[in-house]
Amino acid sequence: MARLWLAAAALAAFTAGPALGKTPAAPAKLPDWGGLWEPEGTDTAISGLPEAATEARAEGKTPSGAGGSFRPLFGFAAPWNEEGKRRQALRQTETANCRAQGWGFPMMMNADAPIQFFVTRDKVLVINAYRDVTDVRMAAKHPSQDDLWPTVWGDSIGHWEGDTLVIDTIAVKNPHEYFHGAPPLSDKAHYVQRIRMDKPHHLVNDISIEDPTTLTKPWTAHLTYQPAEGFERMVYDTYDNDRTECGTDSGIAPSKVGQ
Amino acid sequence: MRLSVACAVALALCLPAIPAQAHHSMAMFDQSKTVTLKGTVKQFQWTNPHCYIQLMVKDASGKDVEWSLEMGAPMYLYAKGWRPSSLKPGSAITVAINPLRNGEPGGIVLTANSADGKQIGKSLARTS
Repeated sequence: MARLWLAAAALAAFTAGPALGKTPAAPAKLPDWGGLWEPEGTDTAISGLPEAATEARAEGKTPSGAGGSFRPLFGFAAPWNEEGKRRQALRQTETANCRAQGWGFPMMMNADAPIQFFVTRDKVLVINAYRDVTDVRMAAKHPSQDDLWPTVWGDSIGHWEGDTLVIDTIAVKNPHEYFHGAPPLSDKAHYVQRIRMDKPHHLVNDISIEDPTTLTKPWTAHLTYQPAEGFERMVYDTYDNDRTECGTDSGIAPSKVGQ
Repeated sequence: MRLSVACAVALALCLPAIPAQAHHSMAMFDQSKTVTLKGTVKQFQWTNPHCYIQLMVKDASGKDVEWSLEMGAPMYLYAKGWRPSSLKPGSAITVAINPLRNGEPGGIVLTANSADGKQIGKSLARTS
């Protein structure tokens, strides 16, 4: 009898969902977002630069999209307040040539490195080739302030609204220090993404960011993704040939490998 | 609103070049200049954070000069049909580059062709 009671209690605990609030209901059929995705307009050439820009320059033309307009999360058009403007200027002067460990969040959602979505009922993982991972728990609440664990990918919870995945992210630590191109938001920033497939082979992501430390009002950006071609192996290994020196634009040193 | 967009664009154009990938700024390369080099591959480095071609090029006096030519990370090259075996030491190639601003023998590779004029890797254009 006692064993039966324990089994019933265990079943009740399992079906009650995680401790951080009841898991929001998932749609009857989860969407298929399989494959690799890249932001539209960021297809990368062998130069490491955007392909459209490389093509234009090879033909002696000025590329369109100069200044990163294809990559809104760089933040050139964000509603920065004075602190945000100060950080934005500082970012550009201090981080030239600095080594980046990856893209972090939110830049991994607007990066060249393709992303994959692994969608299950209790979790969504967004992964790129630099091993950045946004781990989205399908939970109703973030951990309490005492239990928060700030990381460069933040703490994310999600739920479905029909075919739209809503991801709520907080506690993103030093995004612009992890990757110098990232917007210089504070760790108080609150990010909400609404991701859906609006037509076959096309995802859209409406992202809204609030940060009283650096922004005058919510910053919104509209990202779109197309299938990424040729990245099926997603191979990325250690930095063993880093020739640049943080804080300089002095050039690339002579060969360091196999000499 | 028009003014704020214009300011944002102006700001963007004044800022250092932003990298396409996760490593460094591209401000060291003069992207307004395209230089064509013909040379012999000394070494092809399939490495992170960037691939490099070490290319031996004869200068105006006939002396061999080693150029360090940067490319994207291996994953981007892979997606464009490049492989670690794409260039062998001793291969004659022609590359179009944006040179280093500081005048050193280096740059970033825009295109690379084999001795018979064939482009190495896939076409720049998307296939779909």
